[in-house]
Amino acid sequence: MEKIFTLVGFFEILLVLFMQWEVYTKKIITTFSIASYTIAAFLLYIGIVEKEYLVITLAIITAVVRGFFIPWFMKRSIVKDPWREREIRPTLSTAFSILMSLFIVVFAYVLYRITIYSSVQLSAGSIPIALILQGAFLMVSRRNAFIQLIGYMIMENAIFLFEGYIFPGLPFIVEAGIVLDLIGIVAVAGIVVKMMKNSTSDLNESDELRG
Amino acid sequence: MAYIYTLPMIFSAFGALLCLVRRTYFEEVVSVIVSLATIVAAVATIFLPNFSNTFLYVDGLSKIMLIVISIVYTSTVIFSTTYMKYMENPLFEKNFYYLLMNVFAFTMFFTVSVNSFGMMWIGVEATTVTSALLVATENNESAIEATWRYIVVVSSGLIISLLSNVFIYASIHTLSFSNIMSMHITHADRILLLGTMMAVIGYGTKAGIFPMHTWLPDVHGKAPAPVSAIFSGVLLPVALYVVARVLQAVPVGPLKEFSFVLGFLTVSIAASLMVVQKYYKRLFAYSTMENMGMVLIGLSLGKYAFIGAIVLITSHAFAKSSAFFLSGNILAKYKSRKIEDVKGIFKRMPFTGYTLMFSSMAVTGTPPFGTFVGEMMIIYGILKNFPLFYALALTSFLALAFISVNSKVGKMVFSESSEKVMERKRVGRSIPIINIALAFLMIFLIPQIEELLSKGMVK
Repeated sequence: MEKIFTLVGFFEILLVLFMQWEVYTKKIITTFSIASYTIAAFLLYIGIVEKEYLVITLAIITAVVRGFFIPWFMKRSIVKDPWREREIRPTLSTAFSILMSLFIVVFAYVLYRITIYSSVQLSAGSIPIALILQGAFLMVSRRNAFIQLIGYMIMENAIFLFEGYIFPGLPFIVEAGIVLDLIGIVAVAGIVVKMMKNSTSDLNESDELRG
Repeated sequence: MAYIYTLPMIFSAFGALLCLVRRTYFEEVVSVIVSLATIVAAVATIFLPNFSNTFLYVDGLSKIMLIVISIVYTSTVIFSTTYMKYMENPLFEKNFYYLLMNVFAFTMFFTVSVNSFGMMWIGVEATTVTSALLVATENNESAIEATWRYIVVVSSGLIISLLSNVFIYASIHTLSFSNIMSMHITHADRILLLGTMMAVIGYGTKAGIFPMHTWLPDVHGKAPAPVSAIFSGVLLPVALYVVARVLQAVPVGPLKEFSFVLGFLTVSIAASLMVVQKYYKRLFAYSTMENMGMVLIGLSLGKYAFIGAIVLITSHAFAKSSAFFLSGNILAKYKSRKIEDVKGIFKRMPFTGYTLMFSSMAVTGTPPFGTFVGEMMIIYGILKNFPLFYALALTSFLALAFISVNSKVGKMVFSESSEKVMERKRVGRSIPIINIALAFLMIFLIPQIEELLSKGMVK
């Protein structure tokens, strides 16, 4: 099982690295969808092998909501508003983004080793931490609201990886509530993104929102 | 028996449902009635013993929070009935605004009544889901951007607190607050310590604690006045309520010191930023941040400082909601958020002028308001636990905040203006006065707060 986890984690890291240097929103959405399906497949595998119905439920929700529905919703909005298609002015250069992403992977590993490794004893346990940091970096390094939202959902996927494999067993009611809340926040975020006349890069940078 | 403790939740949820009915003024009347009912239900709990089962945990702290939420919720709903008339292009219809407000109140009642850290997380995250659109009510570009920042920053912070739940569960195999309390934890392993620290950062994001505070001034500055009032008055303290529970459940040294440092940094950063503020709503937002920093310090120190933190939460809730209501009245008349554009409030809107001056004094911890007593108790806690330098440094930041807020508000209120009086007798004028009176009356209720925190009920 640990080998599969390492493989899935490594693949997830690669996908996120691709998202870090990609500027076309549609490709980032598709990559995110693939990343979500991969995590869903892994959770499904764990659920079946260990007969954990809750993990199977998590897998199905991950596939349906983050693998299919949200990417579909975003792509549909892009068709309606073609200006969302490409990040016009990325905050950071592509080369710097790649460098930072690689640094984050190393940093996550060091952080993991000095904090929870002694309790977890899992060599690839730093992967979810790296994914959380990568998601956060994607959010702060981009101006396009859709890409920021994807950064947030990468963090969510990493949490699911954490609780699905490394620390399983949260009470069902809590898990269900978390899933509902996360769906809620993504739905509200979707509404707000739709309300924006332009991407965040084009928003009126009013003086009042500074300082 | 349990149903009594859930009444505030039931009333607000029922009110939200009724708001689906589309009739002129129906949603306003319903919301006012249900919010008043939540006050009655919340006050009733203080005469009942503490209660806990698998789902609920209602002790003295929860009861105080229930009362504060219900009062600020009620005043917000009543104030909204006049304020909504000034909104030129609202994002949605009135009934949807009240529906969201009632659901939002429900999520806050839920958070302070549940027994599990997992459920508390759900409650806090649900406050974001239900309140995000309220921020964008005024439907302009900068309000929508502020909403977006709110969603992105707060949700990221809450991802950290979600991870904290995973870590806490991994370490002690339960998220139930009552179970954790019965363990009497005095030593935390690495995962538990990391989890609890993440909880402070994660929920601290929602409470405007440094370094994840960046959403706070934008949202308070751009949200409609009643929404800013309820955010500042009770939403932020609800997030800190969870931090208080974490500190109660795992009272280990490094966690307390970590919280103290974050609180101290929050006060110092907020006080410094207040000096350069040009917009009055943002000024009050930074003042909220400063007060939340003080509350976190109080919670981390425990004992008298903990009581001081709760006194500060309650009196700040009333005073700050009053300040934001008044800022709404000023905005409606002056059509500007800039401090320099607002002149002679005292002459043009005398009631608003007086009340605003009292509100700004109250939020900066001036006697005789409850905030002063709360801050004094916290400073006493610092003097007991740390060298004198810390108390002096903190006091100087508080003094800086006091000077910044009161001098800027003083300029707005007492400056000359040749314009005529434009204040009208409306409910929107009375609500801030009632709230500021409550902020003062809190000093007489400190023994009851202490009794509630120690015994769980008032006899």
